Amino acid sequence: MNGSLECRDLTKSFGGLPILRGVSLCLEPGTVTVLAGENGAGKSTLMKIISGQLRPDTGEVLFGGEPLAPGDVHAARGAGVGIVPQELAPIPDLSIYENLFVGREKRTRTGLLDRRGMIRAAREMLTVFGIDLDPRTPMRRLSVGMTQLVEIVKNTSWGARVVLLDEPTSAISDREVERLFTLVDQLRERGVAIVYTTHKMAEIQAVADRVVVLRDGRLVADEPLAALSEHDIVQHMIGRELSELFPERPEPGTEVALRVGGVRRDGAPPVDLEVRAGEIVGLAGLIGAGRTELLETLFGVRARTGGEIEVGGRRLRPNRVTEAIASGMALVPEDRKGAGLVLSMDVLDNGSLPHLGAFSVAGWLRSKARAEAVGSWGRTLGLRSRGLSQEVQTLSGGNQQKVVLGRWLSGDVKVLLLDEPTRGVDIGARSEIYRAIIRLAESGLAVLMASSDMAEVIGLSHRLLVMRGGGVVAELDRRAMDAPDVQERIFRHAAGLHVA
Amino acid sequence: MNVAAPSTTGKNSPAQPPERRGPALGRAGEAVREWAIRNPMVLVMALVILYFLYMSDRFGTVGNLQTIAIAAAPFALIALGQTLVILTGGIDLSVGSVIAASAMTAALVVKDHPERMWLAVLAAVLVGVVVGGISGFAVSRLGVPPFVATLGMMTVASGLAYVLGNGAPINGLPADYSTIANTKVLGIDLPVVIMIVGFIVMIVLMSRTTYGLRVYAVGGNPLASRIAGLNVNRTLFSVYVISGGLAGLSGVILSSRVISAFPSLGSGYELDAIAAVVIGGASLMGGRGTVWGTILGLFLIQTLNNGLDLLIVPSYWQKVIKGVLIIAAVALDVWVVRRRSR
Repeated sequence: MNGSLECRDLTKSFGGLPILRGVSLCLEPGTVTVLAGENGAGKSTLMKIISGQLRPDTGEVLFGGEPLAPGDVHAARGAGVGIVPQELAPIPDLSIYENLFVGREKRTRTGLLDRRGMIRAAREMLTVFGIDLDPRTPMRRLSVGMTQLVEIVKNTSWGARVVLLDEPTSAISDREVERLFTLVDQLRERGVAIVYTTHKMAEIQAVADRVVVLRDGRLVADEPLAALSEHDIVQHMIGRELSELFPERPEPGTEVALRVGGVRRDGAPPVDLEVRAGEIVGLAGLIGAGRTELLETLFGVRARTGGEIEVGGRRLRPNRVTEAIASGMALVPEDRKGAGLVLSMDVLDNGSLPHLGAFSVAGWLRSKARAEAVGSWGRTLGLRSRGLSQEVQTLSGGNQQKVVLGRWLSGDVKVLLLDEPTRGVDIGARSEIYRAIIRLAESGLAVLMASSDMAEVIGLSHRLLVMRGGGVVAELDRRAMDAPDVQERIFRHAAGLHVA
Repeated sequence: MNVAAPSTTGKNSPAQPPERRGPALGRAGEAVREWAIRNPMVLVMALVILYFLYMSDRFGTVGNLQTIAIAAAPFALIALGQTLVILTGGIDLSVGSVIAASAMTAALVVKDHPERMWLAVLAAVLVGVVVGGISGFAVSRLGVPPFVATLGMMTVASGLAYVLGNGAPINGLPADYSTIANTKVLGIDLPVVIMIVGFIVMIVLMSRTTYGLRVYAVGGNPLASRIAGLNVNRTLFSVYVISGGLAGLSGVILSSRVISAFPSLGSGYELDAIAAVVIGGASLMGGRGTVWGTILGLFLIQTLNNGLDLLIVPSYWQKVIKGVLIIAAVALDVWVVRRRSR
């Protein structure tokens, strides 16, 4: 009767697509197990099965040797499994203590809410974790990082013995990451078994006792942290040498396709930059450095308060998306589902949305021309769908991204703005998207690409701009990018540390 | 969540199609079954029709079918407009009042001047367009939620209808005006012809034109539509204008049929129109729904009205039955969609 949790040979597929292909794993108390893997490797699915939100196709989850009822959240919770999902679900208009006690409110003898008792208990719970907040503060007023800490407290304070943290740093700042690590340490000391999913190397080094790597639904490595080098981990995650992932970059042209002069938006310094035809310029920086905002300002989605933007020599008036598109600019947004796709529509409609004018005569759709154009770039990008009438929400992340990228290919695009082009995309589709980007550059497009993935932004760009506080703080040319300490240098610029 | 066989084992026989064809049904039978499951409302409609056919001898007669069609016409127009609005994720509560305001306007114009008939029709439609335009402006430019904007315009239009007639009906409209609703074209009543034309135009508009695609896109995801270069505000504005204009036309048909206009004309019609769209499977969140669905929803409601009348069910009970059926029908639809997506 030890307090360990064991997974035996778990498999799970969605719509015939295998996500987990036989994963066995044992979690020991007082250990932080980092579950590493690319997006789409099956990390979240595994977490959901352990926490009872999903029922495995085969295999079982055991706690202290006893099998848990599959797909039963209450059974998992009863056994002491708590999960803090990637997408937090606080109730913003309730206070911290109300959130902490939601669903298990304290009551007085008369059956009314015991607010005073809950506030007192909440304060204790927060202090245990070194969080100095008034429990009566509305949840809405907390930063994302603080919200996350409160969610962790909420999911562990009832005596959880296994805590699952799903990509806990995906949306929080560096200082908040520190607090998170402290909290993880405290949980470890109390003998809690912790699973921590991430694909970021720095985090793995900081918190892991043991590293488990998932790739394409299989467990490919399970070692103590000390036994694995950073290079090993990356290799396990992507399953091949990094250099193979990125194709050879073609020589850029000489003609300037995008000229940005002193472009300003609220609360950010002016930005100057140029991208030549056939050139891929990377935008690196920490979360919140203003990369997305810059791209949106260039495209006219976000208000520009000053400065000039020229595309192919044509000057754009501020805040007019239609004009940006007409002049040959295209944006592939970061938030694929929120800003890129109309999920309720099919591949054909999504794929032709920006160029409806080209596929119609006096407002009448030319269905054949439309289907031919979409089908043509679909083949180029290796789009896998059950046909053009498949709703995009049933496509995988990689194929969705191909739709958002590909739909610009049928038009006359000169400047392509890419925002996190491979976020949530599995490794196979990633290399296809990289090849597509290179091919686009080869055909003379100017590409400006923001990415948080260091390997990607270094491996794909001709030139790199580092952003901090909304402005460009450093520029690295190809030679600087080939230097072995380039990641370190980028990080120092991005974090505002002095560069030696 | 019920995966019968783990699909990983299917790897040995890659070219095998899914073994599903029941021997008794065959391909065609399977297709029909599949289709019926996908369109539960058609099944409900069929059951309702069969029930009334069984219960009443008069229900299936040509004359009664005409009665249903004529009664449906004014609702059809506002339901079509409502479909557009709901597809964008909005709602238009003002159409019932617009019917009253536009009917009163037309009546004032034509009352002592039979020769102004076409002017009256134009004025009525214009009233609807203006009311819809104001709602559309408030929604698209001022960011007022559609429910609030059209609730406001519903009150405004209703008030204006009373103002126009000093609170009284306008009776004794010229005979020319009454011919609008009472002429026959190729043996079919003009309102029914207008309704059928409306159906055809709207079906083509929504499936064959860039405009239709834009309405779906804007309703499905306004931000993504904007980034794809669509003029979201203009599309939003347009659906309210169309809805208002169609309500104006509906007001003409109704007032022409009873040869008078009164301020309570069309009151509550917006709810039947919304019900028709929702029964037709449209999502109030926008982006999902079809004109075909709305037509089906419309005739389900109209058939119920007619059939229950024939069975001499008291009108108060009719309301109760209708309300329950609306909820049941949509619950069935949701259930089917959920089952399918599992």
